[in-house]
Order: sequence, then C-alpha cells, then structure tokens
Amino acid sequence: MLVLFETSGGFALFKVLDEGKLSNVEDLGDEFSSAESARRMVRLIAFHKFDNTSEALEAVAKLVEGTSSKGLRKFLKNNCGDGETLAVADSNIGNIITEKLDVQCVHNNAVMELLRGVRSQLTELLSGLDDNDLAPMSLELSHILARYKLKITSDKVETMIIQVIGLLDDLDKERNTYAMRVRELYGLHFPELAKIVQDNILYAKAVKLMGNRINAANLDFSEILADEVEAELKEVAVISMGTEVTDLDLIHIRQLCDQILSLAEYRAQLNDYLKSRMNKIAPNLTALVGELVGARLISHCGSLLNLAKLPGSTIQILGAEKALYRARRMNHATPKHGLIYHAPVVSQAAPEHKGKISRSLAAKAALAIRCDAFGDGQDNTMGVETRLKLEARLRNLEGGDLGAFEEEEVYYKDKKKKADDEEEPKTEEPSKKKKTEAELETAKEPVKKSKHEGVTGLLILIFLIPLIYFVYVNQLAC
Amino acid sequence: MYIIMPSGRGGGGSGRGLARGGEGGAIRGRGRGRESGPGRVKSRESESGGIKGGSKVLVTPHRHAGVFVAKSKADALVTKNLVPGEIIYNEKRIFVQNEDRSTVEYRVWNPHRSKLADAITTGVDNIWIKPGVNVLYLGASSGYTVSHISDIVGPEGCVYAVEHSHICGKVLMNMAEKRTNVIPIIEDARHPAKYRMLVGMVDVIFSDVNQPDQSKILGLNASYFLKSGGHFMISIKANSIDSTIAAETVYQMEVEKLQMEELRPTEILHIDSCEEKHACVFGGYRLPRKQKADTAV
Repeated sequence: MLVLFETSGGFALFKVLDEGKLSNVEDLGDEFSSAESARRMVRLIAFHKFDNTSEALEAVAKLVEGTSSKGLRKFLKNNCGDGETLAVADSNIGNIITEKLDVQCVHNNAVMELLRGVRSQLTELLSGLDDNDLAPMSLELSHILARYKLKITSDKVETMIIQVIGLLDDLDKERNTYAMRVRELYGLHFPELAKIVQDNILYAKAVKLMGNRINAANLDFSEILADEVEAELKEVAVISMGTEVTDLDLIHIRQLCDQILSLAEYRAQLNDYLKSRMNKIAPNLTALVGELVGARLISHCGSLLNLAKLPGSTIQILGAEKALYRARRMNHATPKHGLIYHAPVVSQAAPEHKGKISRSLAAKAALAIRCDAFGDGQDNTMGVETRLKLEARLRNLEGGDLGAFEEEEVYYKDKKKKADDEEEPKTEEPSKKKKTEAELETAKEPVKKSKHEGVTGLLILIFLIPLIYFVYVNQLAC
Repeated sequence: MYIIMPSGRGGGGSGRGLARGGEGGAIRGRGRGRESGPGRVKSRESESGGIKGGSKVLVTPHRHAGVFVAKSKADALVTKNLVPGEIIYNEKRIFVQNEDRSTVEYRVWNPHRSKLADAITTGVDNIWIKPGVNVLYLGASSGYTVSHISDIVGPEGCVYAVEHSHICGKVLMNMAEKRTNVIPIIEDARHPAKYRMLVGMVDVIFSDVNQPDQSKILGLNASYFLKSGGHFMISIKANSIDSTIAAETVYQMEVEKLQMEELRPTEILHIDSCEEKHACVFGGYRLPRKQKADTAV
C-alpha cells in the first residue's frame, strides 16, 4: 500500500513495508515512536518538490478545495504502480484520484494513524528535506494561502493612496516654488509680463515661446493667451524697461519652464491615477466626498480600516485637531469641520448652513467608509444615493420655510427608517410647525378673540374681588 | 526608601554589594529577583506606558516558564516582547534596563481579554506552553492571545493560528507578518484536513472556538496533529454549548466528550473572575497508562 503525504515543500509518496501491522490500529502509533521503527514501517519512494511558490499555492489551494492539481496527478501517475492502493488523508481527494487515475484509494482509521505516524517522524523519513527547510516553507506558504483566501489583492491596498496624496502636495509646493523663481528670473528681462499673465502655467508657456522679448512682436500667442492679453503683451514688449539677457541665460530659463510644464502634466496624471485608485478602494466614499477629500481622510488615519472605526463626529473634525483641543481647553466653541470642509457638498453650502451639512455629511461618510472597508465593495450605489439625499437636504436648508412640506415629510420619513430615537422629536417639530403655520391663518381670529376674552375676564375678576370685599366689610361695619 | 546607583544602572545592578538581606545575583533583564521590603529600584523609563507611567515596577519570572509578573501598585502579567517596539492592541509596555544598558521590553497581558491569562492569574497548575514548544491555536481571532503565546514560545517554537473569520483573519495576518513564529491559517477548524500540509506535529493544542461541537473539533485536530503525550487546553463557555442547563453540568458533559476522544482532562478551572460561566480544561492526549498517577507534571 502506498501513502500520499502532502507537505508545504511538495508531495511525498511512501510505501508501507509491513502491512500486517495495519490491522492493529491501536498500537500503530507506537510503531512510529522512533525513527528506526518508523523506517521499518514505511519507506519514501518518491518526492515531488514544488518548483516555486506559485506552483505550491496552486497545488495546495486545489487540495483545500478537494480537487487535484495537474502536478499531483502527474506525480501519482508516474509513481503509483498498478494494483496498488493509495492511502489518502481526505476522502474527497481519494474519490477524485480514483476517478481520474483509476487508482484505488482508501481512507480509514488505520490510514489516519499511519499519517499521524509519518507526520511525527517526517524529517527522518523525508531524507530530501531538512527540518530547517520545511518550517520557512510552511510559513511562506501559509501567508500566501491566507492572502489568496482573503483575496488581498494589490488593488485594495490603500498605502498607495496615502503616498500619492503626499506626493501631490509635494508637487504643488515644488511647482509653486519653480513658478516664482521663473517669474523672478525672467522678470529681470521683462518685468511687465509678470503682471500681465497671472497664471503660472501660461507664464511658463509664454516665456518658453518668446525667449527674448524682442521676438514677442513677431510670434503668435493665440494658443496660449487670450487676444487682449496678447495685444497688451506685444505692446509692452517693445517699451519694456527690463535688461538684456544672453542666449545662455535664456536657454536655462527655458529649461526651467519645461520643468514647470512637465510637473503640471505629471500632476494631472497623478490626479487621474488617484481617482481610479480611490474608486477601486473606496467607491462609496469617493462618490460622497470626492477623491481628494477621501484620500486625505484615509491618509490622515493611516488606513481605511482605522478610518472605519471612527464615529461620524470624529470624521467631521478630522484635520482640525489643533482648533479642537484649543477650543476644548479654553471652553470655546469647537470647530464645525476639518478636512470635510473641502467636500463639494460643504463648500457649496452657504456659511450659515456649513455646520449642519458637514455634520450630516460626516455621519453619512462614516457609513460609506464602513461599507467600503468591510463590504465586498465594488459598487458605489450607496455613495451616490446618499450624495443625492444630502444635496436635497442642502436645498431644503437653503430654501428655508418656503420649501415644499411634502418634500420635507418624505425626507424625514426616509430618515426614520434609518435612525430611531433621534428622529422622533424631529418629526414632531416639523409637524407642529406645519400645524401652527397652516392653522395660523384660520386660528388667528378665534385665538385673538379668546385671548381678548381671557384678558378682559381676568381684569374683571381683579376689580370685582376687592369691590366685593369692601362691600362685605361695609355691610359688616354697618 | 530606595537607592539608585550613581552609575545610573537600573534593574538588577544594585543587587550586588549592598548589605541588605541576600539577593541572589541579579537576574538579567528583570528588576530584581527576590525582594525584601523597601528598596525597590526604579526601572528605567516606564514612560511609554508602564503600569502607571514612571512608577516603580518590578518584573519577576512567573512559575510558568516564559511568563513574568510585573509588580507595582497593581500587579500585571507580562510576557517578553518577541518583536520589540511593536504592540498589537494598544497594550501597555514595561521597559526594564539590564546591567549592560540594554532595555528589555515586556508587554502587559490582560486577563479580561485573554482566557489563558485569566487561567494563569486564577492559578492553574500547568499551562504546558513554554519556550520552544509548538502550539496549535484553534480560534485565534485577532491574535491577541496568539501574540502572547508567540512571545512565550520564542523563536524556537511555533504557533499555528487557525481562524475562520476573514475580518479577524486580516488582522491576524498583519500580526503574523511581524512575527515569524506565527503561521496564520484561515480555515475552519472543523476540517483539519484542509490545513494538513501547513502544520507539523504539535506539543500543545489550545482551543477557544466556542462552538457546540468543540470537543469533537479538538479531538479531530488532536488526532491529526497532537503528539502522543501532548497536552491541550480548551476554554468552555457554558452558554455556547447549552444555555438552558446549569454550567456545572455543561462542564461535566464536555469533559465526558473529551474523554471519549482520548483527551484526558487533568485540571478543570473555573475562570469566573473576568467572565461568567467560563471554565478551562487542561489535560493530556494519549498519555501512557503508567503516568496516570502523576499527570500534572
């Protein structure tokens, strides 16, 4: 009988030398208590080492599922003689092997004991593998297998996002510095240009095209600048008070301009890259707040998981920690928004509504983040829907009381489904408001009247009582 | 009153040469061996989180090899950090200075979070986990207890951590990336055949799965991987097995089931201090008959 034993280093096939002992299952374990007796029990006849980790992963993953890999089938075909029975650890695998390779497989208590014994003496029996070899292989294979199981793909790793956001900020700083420098450099030659062309990129392009300002009159700037600006430029170029520069200087200035332009291009590419990454990693968050703000939030916390653990109130003021702690210490009002301030929904809101909207946004963002972090998350429907709802709420806030009552009602009803307690006082208030506003017209007059009546009634009472008292007293006196 | 040596040595340095009731030669890496009354030496920098920042802390070895006790206002169970500088779950660390000015880092082990720590503080006889053993841990969860066991067994030992849940699995994997003696296995412990190529024979199985058929799970895993004469520990939550009957009855039932799987219990410990209706059963597997007399070795 042969025994198939799978290790993290490869497949091993043993031949059972003393089949008689198999019938005594209880004592089978003792046969393997020492290396020599183990060797008398089984002998290694073939070993197929995994060539690389991907082969190992494939073979083991298939075993786990209960199917056989090509490597295993080939190995068994080559080494199992006819008429041999094969002892396997798993009856599923046994069935498949019998099906595909027509080899009788067996799996019972005796087999289990055999395998136990082999496992305990594995290093002795496998002459090709050392103890030191097997352990790191196990470790590596377990990590790879676990990653395969958990589907940790490089797509979902958010460390790239954190680095890219940092890079974007760095790029911006660099670009600014270079642009300032170019203005100063060229300003020696043509100072008026700095005031005419405000935008850095256009400035760089213009300088690159011109070189020496003398050429300005002859060149066509229509691709870069607007017509009036171009006309102004050409005018001023002639009467400029800047000094002359040599060709060598111009070459260097032009190279600096090239740098600026290529940085700008790179930054645009990076932005696109960030967008696509954010959509893969956190689609709901991106739909809700945009990719820049989303990326900044993730990078602030270090990872999407960390961000997912935070409550909405923290997300609201992430990025404003300095202001927060200062306010707490000095008992002032705490900040209303941190990084969230730059989200489109908040930036579109009027100043008096920013606080409310940022609170709602933060609460919804917390949900979106958790969806992304813990869900399968490839779709952003939740984010998109929530964004629409938030924008509707913003419109309501800004519309004020003129907003249609039905809309408000629908909105609050929706909210009620999601949250329980907080909504009840809220639903009471708008209904109260509604009542008083609608009925105010009709109820004004009776209210007024009753008010009037009430007041006069009181007055009468106030005068009557002393009167009655005096009369009474007088009566007594009399 | 305590004395700090002018040379600034913390820890055991001041043990020598002081006429104060014999201390054994200062044990390396610990505060001081046996201590007599006053005269605790302040252990250097507990600043990043001693039990109370900057308090005087004394670290002594526990009866169980590989585990230590940090004594200060409140005692704490600690293990020596295998990967200095890394913490798993915001636990506090204690730093002790050696004579040769190297610091040894210990991590505090919280009994409220870890059943094994709870069992140790309740006073179990033998946990069977010591430096150099191989441990199979079923129900590893996020790896808190696994990390402490990995500290105890050290680089020569090995911990196979089996956890089925994917969310916990990710956290476990992150932890295992830092510690090379932890092998993460994201599989159902009910099917040990599925991870048979990753695991060798182990000396101890630790089971914290809280499933109604956990005795069977333990038995199956033991038949695959636990060496003869090996030991096990299983944590039993009475409500997980059967919430309608009394806890004592549940424990008895589980013990009987274990005995049917050739797992012979040697100790049943009620760990009620931190969690209600929990018990830990320690025992041996396929122990030779002769040793029946003195099982708790």
